[in-house]
Amino acid sequence: MRRLRSVLEHRPVACAARGDSLRCVRSSPESIRGRAHRLKVYVPLCTLVSIFFISSAIAQPDADFAKANQEYAQRHFKEAISDYEALIRDGQWSANVFYDLGNAYFRARDFGRAILSYERALALERHHPEATANLQIARDEAGALELQRSWPERYMQFASVNQHSVAAAVAFWVAAFCLAGLIFTRRRAAAMVGLLVVMLLVFAGSIFAVWQLERGSKGDALAIVTGKNVQARLATADTANAVLALPPGSEVKILSTRGDWIYAVLPKNLQGWIPAKDAEQVRL
Amino acid sequence: MGRTFLIGITAAILAASSAFADSPSVTAVLSNSETVVGETVELQIKVTGPGDASPPEEISIDGLEIHATGQSRQFEIHNFSTSSSVTYNYTILPLRAGKFIIPPQIVRAGGSLLRTPELTLNVADVPGRSSAARPSRGTQSQSVRPGDLVFAELIVPKKTAYVGEIVPVQIRMAFDPRVRPRLIEPPEITGQGFTAQKLQESGQNSETINGRPYDVVTYKTAITAAHAGKFELGPVKAKAQVLVPRARNAPRPRSRSPFDLFDLDDPFSDPFFSNPFAQMGERREVEIKSEPVALEVKPLPPNAPPSFSGAIGNFTMSTDANPTSVQVGDPIAVTTAVSGRGNFDRVNAPVVEDERGWHKYPPSSKFKQDDEVGISGTKTFETVLSPNEKKQSLPLLAFSYFDPVKEQYVTLRSEPVAISVQGGAAPANVAAAQPASSPAATVTRPASAAQITAKPQDILYQLTERPRATESFAPIYTRRVFWGTQGIPLLALIGFAVWKIRGARINNRQAQRTAALHHEAAELMHNLRRKDASPREYYAEASRVVRVKTALASVGRGIDPNVVDAETAADTFKLNSNERDRLRRLFEQSDEWQYSGAHNGPGEISPENRRDVLELIDNLRV
Repeated sequence: MRRLRSVLEHRPVACAARGDSLRCVRSSPESIRGRAHRLKVYVPLCTLVSIFFISSAIAQPDADFAKANQEYAQRHFKEAISDYEALIRDGQWSANVFYDLGNAYFRARDFGRAILSYERALALERHHPEATANLQIARDEAGALELQRSWPERYMQFASVNQHSVAAAVAFWVAAFCLAGLIFTRRRAAAMVGLLVVMLLVFAGSIFAVWQLERGSKGDALAIVTGKNVQARLATADTANAVLALPPGSEVKILSTRGDWIYAVLPKNLQGWIPAKDAEQVRL
Repeated sequence: MGRTFLIGITAAILAASSAFADSPSVTAVLSNSETVVGETVELQIKVTGPGDASPPEEISIDGLEIHATGQSRQFEIHNFSTSSSVTYNYTILPLRAGKFIIPPQIVRAGGSLLRTPELTLNVADVPGRSSAARPSRGTQSQSVRPGDLVFAELIVPKKTAYVGEIVPVQIRMAFDPRVRPRLIEPPEITGQGFTAQKLQESGQNSETINGRPYDVVTYKTAITAAHAGKFELGPVKAKAQVLVPRARNAPRPRSRSPFDLFDLDDPFSDPFFSNPFAQMGERREVEIKSEPVALEVKPLPPNAPPSFSGAIGNFTMSTDANPTSVQVGDPIAVTTAVSGRGNFDRVNAPVVEDERGWHKYPPSSKFKQDDEVGISGTKTFETVLSPNEKKQSLPLLAFSYFDPVKEQYVTLRSEPVAISVQGGAAPANVAAAQPASSPAATVTRPASAAQITAKPQDILYQLTERPRATESFAPIYTRRVFWGTQGIPLLALIGFAVWKIRGARINNRQAQRTAALHHEAAELMHNLRRKDASPREYYAEASRVVRVKTALASVGRGIDPNVVDAETAADTFKLNSNERDRLRRLFEQSDEWQYSGAHNGPGEISPENRRDVLELIDNLRV
């Protein structure tokens, strides 16, 4: 501190000697002291303001969520739905928000959207017991139809797509290190060769599981019928022959989209066209 | 040579067979033992055995006109046994009714006289038939009329029909077998106001029409009238090529044909047919045309039932369902078979009279026809019904058709099929147990059904905890963080590989250096064992060997052989004081010889010194 002060005391002389009066004025001890004072004030202030805004930004969704829950508790289901939807529009996606939204839709007797919300909650969190239970109730209430799962899909469902992906990555790198070890070492241990083979099998199995689950009935093409009195048809026309009547909440798997119609795999292993407005994809 | 031998053997066998052939025999048969006046019967006298035979040239029986029409010869070989026979043909035209006895005829064969058996021919009279009906030879044309050789006939079983009713139609095409007909254009039913199905050839047989044999080809089809009114069906038209005698420019008397034995109006009385090779015939295209048939088409009566889809005919219906015990929402395959006779193309699936509580899927159908044209058969429909609630029986299925015989609409209803539906909503008060009552009266109103529906299970509570971090629907493998994380093991793998490669390279350099030192040491030792080296060279090489061995012994430390001195070498090999002194002397002598000139000292090394140096160097081991 003493050294700093001495430096500051000697600097004007040096500035005057060089004829740089302006810099000397700016670098005068008063101005430097003022700048240090401002720094002392502004930095904490800015920090405080930033913390305030950040904390309020974090707290805002919590408040909205609490408000929506309150609306639900007061049986204002439409308002609750609106608040939950606003949260979701803001990107505040969580299994609990979708679950609560599903409950609100259920209370509002919109079983299609209730099932859609429960499905979304389960898509975010596979093991969400409340969503699983309420989804079953909503399906029973609506008479919703479910897609049939293929046998590989049923077996691969012991883990989620993310878990299979991580397993595939880990197996890949272990296999890669085993291979590198086998290449760079003179002695090729049978254990390392065995581990390499096992890891390659795990990698292939995990990739297959990911592919199967993603293309399966619970994959990224899963959609839920939200409209009422929806008829799947043989062609993209309201007058075309009906293939299947789809109660609200029924599962469909979108194969392609043509204009306002989507061609989908339907329950009971059927395929048909349904209006795009009457179905929503589970994954946002 | 071989061929001649084979022919000889065959001839010998034939000759032997002929020598041992049976004695001649004769038989006589009538093509028909009963006929009518004016209808011919064939008599065949068959003589079996060797040699020529002379049949009776004329057979005279009162009331019968008998003419010989030709003969044919057969030659047969069975198991190296030969037989030959000659058949003599006669045509008998009864002139009056009665029972005629054809007495045994004398046939001379193989030098013996044979007698045919006695034959009896019963001739019946034909009422209304007289010889005047037959055209006389003087009035007939000498040219052959193709229309007499082929003709067509359109047979429609009914004269009235309803619009849409399917009417079976038969077309008969008759050809005289001797004209060897060739059909160019198949028969076609002309006319308007109806649709005809594809013609199906149903059979071919030989018939005698008006006393003449014809090959008759029968076609079957079915027509459906498109609108009401009276119209003509046909005529049936076809084109064929027939073989007829070549036309002559001027009429001339002709010989009597064997086919026209009895002065009939037979176009085959032309001599061409008796001997086609004597006078070449020609193929002529003829149009075959039948007589049209009138058909009256009536419109269907009004007030058709709702389940009427245009089926006309006579049908029965049976229904089956599988499985009969299901859960709510499960499919039940309902198989309905409509059998009978009618227009099956208009037979649609029976309708579900009351679809409430059921979900119906589009039916599939298959038709199994029992005839050539598809008028009769069984059409089977498979409809999948799915109960949306508890049910005790399948809904009634109704099928309506118009019966043209009774001239009224008929509605068939399925028999009640009891089923068991489990789960889902409580059973509605459906009237499955009362299938005879009307469907409208059997279904409970939805309001009352809702009242007896069990109260559904309530959903679980609301969750008030919200995780701080937002979640994503995107699978982890689509996120950047996932692929960024893969950089860590990737870098580790690259580092591992670089480390291993660098180590391998270093090891490789050290190995090369060690090999060079070994090589140098071996070469120096070889030089030291030679006796012609000067002391200067000898000691220089000896000290160099010590340096190289020291460098090899301390290869892990990477010591340069040029910087190795006596003390370093002694320390490396852990020499005792005596050996250490000897090593020092060796290095000193080497330095002396190296730096003090070549002429100081003896010109040669004594063997003792040489042995001492070699022993010292050989003992330098770690």
